[in-house]
Amino acid sequence: MLPFRIDLKTGAPVSEQLVYAVKKAVISGLMQPGDKFPSVRTLSQELRINPNTAHKVIAALISEGLLEVRPGIGTIVGKKPKATPQQRSELLGQDVEHLVVEAKKLRLEVGDVTRAVEQHWNKLS
Amino acid sequence: MKPIIETTSLNRRFGRTDAVRELTFAVPEGSIYAFLGPNGAGKTTTIKMLLNILQPTTGSARILGVDSRDLGPRELAQIGYVSENQELPEWMTVRQLIDYCKPMYPTWDDAFCEKLLKNFNLPPHRKLKNLSRGMKVKAALVTSLAYRPRLLVLDEPFSGLDPLVRDEFIRGMLELSEQSNWTIFISSHDIDEVERLADWVGVINDGELHLSEPTESLQTRFRQVEFTAGPETTRLPASLPANWLVPEMAGQNVRLVESQFRDGESVNELRRVFPGASEPVISPMSLRDIFLALARTFRFTTESSKA
Repeated sequence: MLPFRIDLKTGAPVSEQLVYAVKKAVISGLMQPGDKFPSVRTLSQELRINPNTAHKVIAALISEGLLEVRPGIGTIVGKKPKATPQQRSELLGQDVEHLVVEAKKLRLEVGDVTRAVEQHWNKLS
Repeated sequence: MKPIIETTSLNRRFGRTDAVRELTFAVPEGSIYAFLGPNGAGKTTTIKMLLNILQPTTGSARILGVDSRDLGPRELAQIGYVSENQELPEWMTVRQLIDYCKPMYPTWDDAFCEKLLKNFNLPPHRKLKNLSRGMKVKAALVTSLAYRPRLLVLDEPFSGLDPLVRDEFIRGMLELSEQSNWTIFISSHDIDEVERLADWVGVINDGELHLSEPTESLQTRFRQVEFTAGPETTRLPASLPANWLVPEMAGQNVRLVESQFRDGESVNELRRVFPGASEPVISPMSLRDIFLALARTFRFTTESSKA
């Protein structure tokens, strides 16, 4: 089992989806600083993805500071980055893109989409 | 990176039939290469030539830097091979099979072997003839992984296996990713199993190789394109660009697969052929859908050339 939620979709690159899922889990607090992060082998076995892809993702997350390497332990979640509202909204990027693509397929206008978002927003608040 | 498998104009005839024609491709070390094609496409013949079980009629293959015809114990001790129709010494128990294989491989790793046996839930003292098909395939995989081969060749490993055994099998082969040198060459007619595992894809049909390239570049150049043709278009034009695969029209709706997608240019081409077309919806495709589009194109081409 993996310590974060991910539901891989076809079409978008696996590496992007994986980076996104990990960032979301760290920023939302699902994964805490110091938590052990799965190995390349575990990631590839659990998600059935290419080990080179898993390796690339871990390397990218390390260089961004989200993960840290601890000799003898492996990879752990790094100190929690202070996420600005800007960064948090960037995390929505993929979902927004998906929404826009679907809306365009339905030949909706941008106003229709924002109205629909507002309606749902008000329902939940 | 140096290729671990490299073929040059590989040909194999059986009587008057060309089973494999002019196959030229390379498998980079450290990749998972999916060798895809319908049943009877020439996948097994190719693999048998790679491993010197069959001799090429013409052309050549190099494996681990050695001509396939010169493969000896030194190279074979670094290659693992599991095939759909593997014959095992049925009278042996799983443990006896392991003891029988071990002396042939200097790099045999006992601890790894025991780990695999445990993960696969293999009963060590049961005779192979009393095992299910799934169990037999797992036993074959253990004896091909335990020496940590540099190259693992799998010929249709999943056919006839239930989903649980398929999952165990894939987890088993991915254990190799812990070591520094590994390459997996896997033939299959079932793309679902390898969709996200393969970083290289080769597609063979009717003995000929149609492509061999990184999965990433395939997924960059294939797009599904859908649009409304406009009222003046009542049927698809007789001749369409060759890079448009499997074009279909239902009512006003047109769908096709663009196999050479380039931002901007693809849409311009569309506008030239269908001046009244609506804004097209362009979506990335799964490996499965790409493979299906190619397979349908082959079938159509084969049938029309026979007609």
